[in-house]
Amino acid sequence: MSLQSARQSSFLARFLADPADPIFRSLAFAAATMLLVTLGGLIIALIIGGWPALSKFGLSFLFTNSWNPVTEVYGAAGPIVGTLITALLSLAIALPIAVCVSVFLTQYCPKVIAQPISTAIELLAGIPSIVYGMWGLFVFAPWFAKTVQLPILTNLDPESFWGKLLSGVPNGANIFTASIVLAIMILPYMAAVFRELFRSIPPHVREAAFGLGCTSFEVVGSVLIPYVKKGMIGVVMLGFGRALGETMAVTFIIGNSHRFPDSLFASGSTLASTIANEFNEAQGLHLASLIGLGLVLFLITFIVLAIARTLLSSQRY
Amino acid sequence: MDRALRRKLLNQAFVVVCTGAALIALAALALIMFSLFTKGMGGVDVMLFTADTPAPDSPGGLRNAIVGSIMMCSVAMLIAVVIGVLAGTWLAEIGGSSPYGHVVRFLNDVLLSAPSILIGLFVYWWVVVPMGGFSGWAGAIALGILATPIVTRTTEDILNLQPNALREAGMALGASQWVTVKSIIWRAAGAGMLTGGLLGFARISGETAPLLFTALNNQFLSFDMSKPFASLPGAIYPFAMSPYDTWNTLAWAGALLITLAVLGVNILGRWLARDKDHK
Amino acid sequence: MSDTETEFKSVITPPPGDQIVLETRKLNFFYGTHQSLFDVSIPVKRNGITALIGPSGCGKSTLLRTMNRMYDLYPGQRAEGEILIDGENIVGSKVDVTALRAKVGMVFQKPTPFPMSIYDNVAFGVKLYHKKSKSEMDEVVETSLRRAALWDEVKDKLNKSGLSLSGGQQQRLCVARGIAVQPEILLLDEPASALDPVSTAKLEDTLEELKRDITIIIVTHNLQQAARLSDYTGFMYLGKLIEFGPTETLFVNPKCEKTSDYIGGRFG
Repeated sequence: MSLQSARQSSFLARFLADPADPIFRSLAFAAATMLLVTLGGLIIALIIGGWPALSKFGLSFLFTNSWNPVTEVYGAAGPIVGTLITALLSLAIALPIAVCVSVFLTQYCPKVIAQPISTAIELLAGIPSIVYGMWGLFVFAPWFAKTVQLPILTNLDPESFWGKLLSGVPNGANIFTASIVLAIMILPYMAAVFRELFRSIPPHVREAAFGLGCTSFEVVGSVLIPYVKKGMIGVVMLGFGRALGETMAVTFIIGNSHRFPDSLFASGSTLASTIANEFNEAQGLHLASLIGLGLVLFLITFIVLAIARTLLSSQRY
Repeated sequence: MDRALRRKLLNQAFVVVCTGAALIALAALALIMFSLFTKGMGGVDVMLFTADTPAPDSPGGLRNAIVGSIMMCSVAMLIAVVIGVLAGTWLAEIGGSSPYGHVVRFLNDVLLSAPSILIGLFVYWWVVVPMGGFSGWAGAIALGILATPIVTRTTEDILNLQPNALREAGMALGASQWVTVKSIIWRAAGAGMLTGGLLGFARISGETAPLLFTALNNQFLSFDMSKPFASLPGAIYPFAMSPYDTWNTLAWAGALLITLAVLGVNILGRWLARDKDHK
Repeated sequence: MSDTETEFKSVITPPPGDQIVLETRKLNFFYGTHQSLFDVSIPVKRNGITALIGPSGCGKSTLLRTMNRMYDLYPGQRAEGEILIDGENIVGSKVDVTALRAKVGMVFQKPTPFPMSIYDNVAFGVKLYHKKSKSEMDEVVETSLRRAALWDEVKDKLNKSGLSLSGGQQQRLCVARGIAVQPEILLLDEPASALDPVSTAKLEDTLEELKRDITIIIVTHNLQQAARLSDYTGFMYLGKLIEFGPTETLFVNPKCEKTSDYIGGRFG
């Protein structure tokens, strides 16, 4: 094959040189296009499937706090709020701890121990979420009900601010415990990636900060964290996305009620848990409403992911 | 001097808080693993592998679920590897820098982090409804769709790591792109691509949500994937939610099995990746 | 002709005793079990430039990094012996490392601007030690940047990121950041090795200015630079200080054969 024909590389020239080559290129292109088709098919399925509900309720689908298969009135406000609250709360718990863990591992922990711990954390990030859900259901919820909820119920004035905030059936299945289980689930992932970010900082930056006489707190807070700030926000958004869409870790323990949550210890539901719980018994408008919930979930996670991606791709070391 | 003292105290407080938080987090994670192992080991016996899922309060095992999981995951990985490797190769070697390539890469990222339950909805709509019922095939397709973006992503990343000199050397011998990719690039990147496949496998073997309304479940041992199909996660979920002790015990044993499988596959993948680094 | 087995005799010509600000005595340094400095005793003159030269791996950077206890960051590295700064030994666990590093600043081989604005880069170190009003801080920042010969180039973009500057400007920014805390001693570890000749010349001018009231110790593999800049030079080889004395003497009339070999370009 001459240089000339290689440069032209027309379909015909390639086919004559090696018939398998254009076939390979076409198949590879088709495979890449399958990804587009899949995502397109997902969006179409969610829109068509949810259409009966969306057209009947319109925008009020998003804002109505009612989920009643008997009267056939469906509004997503309860699950939407439940999803956002649990995801935000779990992030608020997991983020500072994940930062602490990664700082501890990269700055303070002796290397001999840091490596095995880091490996263990990376492995824990891969544990199926159903395991976290089961632990929440069988171990954490009963413990929480007994040692936290009951004492609060007996000792707090139910009319006070704290009493109202922390009221609820003392069975451990509520928004707060679901958030904690979620937080424990996203913690290993966030800690592992934060550690990678810290390790990507060139060592002389850290030395320069120490060279000025910074304490380790000042080095971490004023130099290292700002150095990887964008990457960290990207990771936080990815963790947020996971918390938003997580099904199994939440469904076990959130209590699955569609009421608007009126306290931290009230049972609630998320978009994903509602779909998981009711899909197989649903028909007609109920089914369409559940698929509508799926569409809402898709839009929320898509936005979060798009932000995360933009931030992560603009990270420069 | 006051300032220096304040800085020192602040720093010491920070070290204590960091260490404390790290210890708490590690303790929580260790606690979960401890519960899983103690409760899970209680249900591990020979029957777990030889008997099918039982009625409440009667003895049984998870044989049908284990077989079902293995079959569905295998089919899923077949789908994911074929599509993922080709798509990843297209991104790395052929069209990745074109505008369409950027779109595909972005969509792959979206699929990679899309909630798995939505993939279940997708397969329900396009496979379960047209085929007239829940089936093992539908479950395998859902799992395959979950694993494909992982395989695509790692394939592209690994291929991008291969030096351009390799490609040029192949082309310079007069080999077509197909031959260059097949006999040089894929071979050089083999271990890394295998790791990607293993990561995908680890991810889907514990997935529950997308199976709930695609494969559903099956109490009996079955090899017919056109019917509702059993799986470990699909058995664990109702068993864990039930009030029966025997079912709960089986659920823990199943969770332990999945966890051990996922850990094993992950460790294998890391070991392979490490082996490649040392060469 | 095996160098490693030959014992070298050190020839040290110290500056006048009352002018010594920093002095190491029988300093040994270990990376784990590997010893990389052997009984180094070097006297450094106040308010001048002292250069450390030698082939790579001779321990000159290691010696520099003992002087602000940078090795503390890495478990397994330790020093034995004495390092006296103003007569006070800084080797040992009782020393306040933070205060030491305020007194002994450091500039690295690669420019290390922090991820913040040019202004904040310079103000950063000062804020650690003193509370200053906005106008006082403005003054410190301006003076430091002027002394680092960077002011004219950046005065209109003080709020821009320090990372937006060129390599040479970044390095002078790091010098400005280092001198803003008013250190007594400034350590420079091959500060020009990543710079082009013009930026190097500007940096050298800056150092000439600074040496009036700051003691500068510079590690360099560039012999011309050492000869141009420094008042005293130390030649190191295999972890030992072979020869130390006034720069002119050392370059024109070296006492040790090893020194003249190195300066003559016969090895290294």
